[in-house]
Amino acid sequence: MTRPLLACALTILAATSATSTFAADAASKGDVKAGKALVYTCGGCHGVTGYMNAYPNYHVPRIAGQNYDYLVAALTEYKTGQRSHPTMRAQGESLSDEDIKNIAAYLSSIAK
Amino acid sequence: MKFAPALLIVCGLAMNLAHAESIPPEKVKEKAATCAACHGADGNSDTPAQSQYPRLAGQYHDYLARALHEYKSGERKNPIMAGMAAPLSEAEIDALSRYFAAMPGKLDDLSKHEQGN
Repeated sequence: MTRPLLACALTILAATSATSTFAADAASKGDVKAGKALVYTCGGCHGVTGYMNAYPNYHVPRIAGQNYDYLVAALTEYKTGQRSHPTMRAQGESLSDEDIKNIAAYLSSIAK
Repeated sequence: MKFAPALLIVCGLAMNLAHAESIPPEKVKEKAATCAACHGADGNSDTPAQSQYPRLAGQYHDYLARALHEYKSGERKNPIMAGMAAPLSEAEIDALSRYFAAMPGKLDDLSKHEQGN
């Protein structure tokens, strides 16, 4: 009698924790659709193939398909000024933490 | 005398080329093995734990070189990469950047993706 009950309880417990883990993950990972809308701004430089940064000259990096956590870290560092680049600093400052997660979610979702 | 600046540029270019060519491919591969722990042997930083590290494969070589220079000079601050970049020579930075840039990767041009709503 106790065995099936226990098994049942464990199943429910497992199911709830799995759901909540998934929900937490989804909530903390940022929204792909919202990110896609925000990425419109990035296209001005990152969406032009071969676009060069000026003084010093180097290609603006490819960001489509970049890793989620790295993108969040990079944008946050621009936002706080820890990583310096005039244009990216200004972009970072205009973004909320939620925006940053959403952008990272979209960009990492379009890996080749 | 008039040609001195041009001559300097030519010499500079020649030295650059000589530098870049001074590292044999197997040496570059050997050097790149250090990067693999975080960036993956294929440069794709593909495991969940590696999500905190950038993918290098298929990135522009001059952007990668710029990043290494910034780590080396301290302009870009990262304790791990500062230690990695510090001992690299100009030729090594150039060779490693080209090595990873040439790898097939998951990075893509944003222009190939529809943007906005």
